[in-house]
Amino acid sequence: MAVLSVEHVTKRYGDFVAVDDVSFQAQPGRILGLLGPNGAGKTSTIRMITYITVPDEGQVRYDGRPVGPWSQARMGYLPEERGLYKKMKVGEQLLYFAALKGVPAAEARKKARYWLDRFGAGGWVGKKTQELSKGMQQKIQFIATILHEPDLLILDEPFGGLDPINAELLNDVIMALKEKGSTILFASHRMEQVEQLCDDICLISDGRILLKGGLREVKRRFGRNTILLDFDGDNAFLDRLEADGLVHVGLRSISHAELRLRDGATPRHVLEVVMQYVDEISRFELVEPPMREIFVSVVEQQQGASGTRAEAVSH
Amino acid sequence: MNKIAVVARNEFMRRVKSRMFILTTLLGPVLLVGFFAVVGFIAVSAMEEEEGRTIAVLDETGVLLPALQAEAGDTDTFVRPGVPFDSVRQAVLDGRYDGYLLLPEGLVEGTSEATYYAAVGGGSNTFQRRLGRLLDRVVEQRRLAENNVPPEVMEAIRKDVPLRMVQLTEAGETAGSTEAYAVIGFIMGFLIYIAMLIYGSVVMQGVIEEKLSRVVEVIVSSVRPFELLMGKVLGIGAMGLVQMTVWALLIMAGTVFSGTLLALFLDPANLNLPVDASQKELLAAANFQVPVLSADVFVWFVLFFLIGYLVYASLFAAVGSAVEQQQDAQGFLLPVMMPIILSIVFISPVVEAPNSTLAVVLSMIPFFSPIPMVVRVAVTDVPFWQVSLSFLLMVGAFFGAIWLSGRIYRVGILMYGKKPKLRDLIRWIRYA
Repeated sequence: MAVLSVEHVTKRYGDFVAVDDVSFQAQPGRILGLLGPNGAGKTSTIRMITYITVPDEGQVRYDGRPVGPWSQARMGYLPEERGLYKKMKVGEQLLYFAALKGVPAAEARKKARYWLDRFGAGGWVGKKTQELSKGMQQKIQFIATILHEPDLLILDEPFGGLDPINAELLNDVIMALKEKGSTILFASHRMEQVEQLCDDICLISDGRILLKGGLREVKRRFGRNTILLDFDGDNAFLDRLEADGLVHVGLRSISHAELRLRDGATPRHVLEVVMQYVDEISRFELVEPPMREIFVSVVEQQQGASGTRAEAVSH
Repeated sequence: MNKIAVVARNEFMRRVKSRMFILTTLLGPVLLVGFFAVVGFIAVSAMEEEEGRTIAVLDETGVLLPALQAEAGDTDTFVRPGVPFDSVRQAVLDGRYDGYLLLPEGLVEGTSEATYYAAVGGGSNTFQRRLGRLLDRVVEQRRLAENNVPPEVMEAIRKDVPLRMVQLTEAGETAGSTEAYAVIGFIMGFLIYIAMLIYGSVVMQGVIEEKLSRVVEVIVSSVRPFELLMGKVLGIGAMGLVQMTVWALLIMAGTVFSGTLLALFLDPANLNLPVDASQKELLAAANFQVPVLSADVFVWFVLFFLIGYLVYASLFAAVGSAVEQQQDAQGFLLPVMMPIILSIVFISPVVEAPNSTLAVVLSMIPFFSPIPMVVRVAVTDVPFWQVSLSFLLMVGAFFGAIWLSGRIYRVGILMYGKKPKLRDLIRWIRYA
């Protein structure tokens, strides 16, 4: 059980800097959420961790040693863009992936059977991948990722395309692997999943780290400044609250809203205004901001500041 | 090293078990024989078209026409024109005759020349040679007869001299006809062409398929891209070798029976043999011999087959890694395939003159050399230093090609979106 440590890593493609002096650590027995908008440098970072590419500067260490073929054998990688051989049978495919990780065929066969049964896929061994539905392929791919019992897991959007039942099943397996002490890197755009799963987070945008640390600690850093409001009645008052400079309205729907307090505004003040307009209030709660809120505000702030830079790069 | 073997094994097994592979392997020789049969049929029917010319003869010597008619055989018909002398020209233009032959006085004495007139230009070589030979013989007979040469002597002179073409090799052995070696040269050249082009494309398709289905990202998180590339090239190469071996065995079985087959088509009467002549006698009389190939021809063939495949497979793999679908590959494929296409175009001149400057130079230049060199080895004795130097140059070319391809491949397989230009490929090669 070992620490993954990314140390001052930079990756360039020609003039484009995909990853710019990034450092973070992932601890065994914990799940690190790797977050960031599209094109932020997440995939580039993951490819260096998985030793698919090598950094131009800095290095990636696992268990104290620079990553290499040896660490690939101890690692399972589930990329965001899934892929299996279309015309290969499920069983053959799993054995091949396991063989590439150095697992002997007999052992791989036994484990493949165990995991296929666990995912309710025992009957698929002889089926070709192209005969399977997307969700089924998803499960097969996940099994291929963990078949060789890696102690470092890199999961990029592992829940994409799964129904709630299968998502629950996958969640249980990931949690069990975490309990066993695996080091897990979890990349996702789904912030509720991040909040549910992750112990630590690392937010990247434009190739740089904007935010990192324990999930609780990061949220605390943003203070208890968010109001969760459930109400009945016309929601037009939300615009008014915002126009008055009291709050910033995050998520909103017919009967629910997330409001971030502006500087100087107090919850009491907001509640007084709200009470003038709504028919009924069923919830008024002051909480730490949700991850989604933090993500949006941090990234927007950075992109506003570096807008000129981003434009220069794209030209 | 071990991982290259795992990849190669998977590539090999996956393909060898496919229905497509089994079908082409078993049907390949049938198609090949069919291909040659069609070519042969066209050649034969082209020759047949020339037969049956009817030629009006204006015989001013007064003695040659009967002799011509006697000697002509069944191919061409020589007739006295059924029309007046001055309208023969028109009769030919009208198509009543294929042409007319003017045999002026003094032809036998050698003071004038014969002229053949035909409405259709560009008379074939075969016909010209046939007519020339016929005239020669007829005039010769006439001259001999005028000098009172006894009929026995004339008979003796008339008798055909059979000519057998035999190849002399360095080792001192003489073997079957040179034509058979030319055919073997063609076939070997063609097989190497298949190895380079077809198996090369199989490698390319494999690379594109892995990239398109995104499997490649999972695979390269377990093996180095170079190991994947090598495993793929070797695995598909092994598949090609198996296919070629099966084909070779089928063809060898075929040649063992080819004598028997050929004998079925031979008519003993045409060969002046008794009707109950044995097969062996028949084949000997027909001047047919199963050609014997020395071991070094085979060794060089296999070596050039392998190195040719390896060089082109690595280049094709690089092309496959750079694109997302087959159609996009065309632009990059043309320069890669150019040497192969040129060397198959030059196969005929090389067979005709295996020691010409063209043949020697072509068989030494890497990328071009496999086809011409194997053809030369098959039809003539190539100095050892030439074959081995040519082979070593190809080995060098392989190391160059696989290095280059490895650099393009490792970047290309992870690149999606914009179709890269040649400039991009060069930039990829320079990446760390």
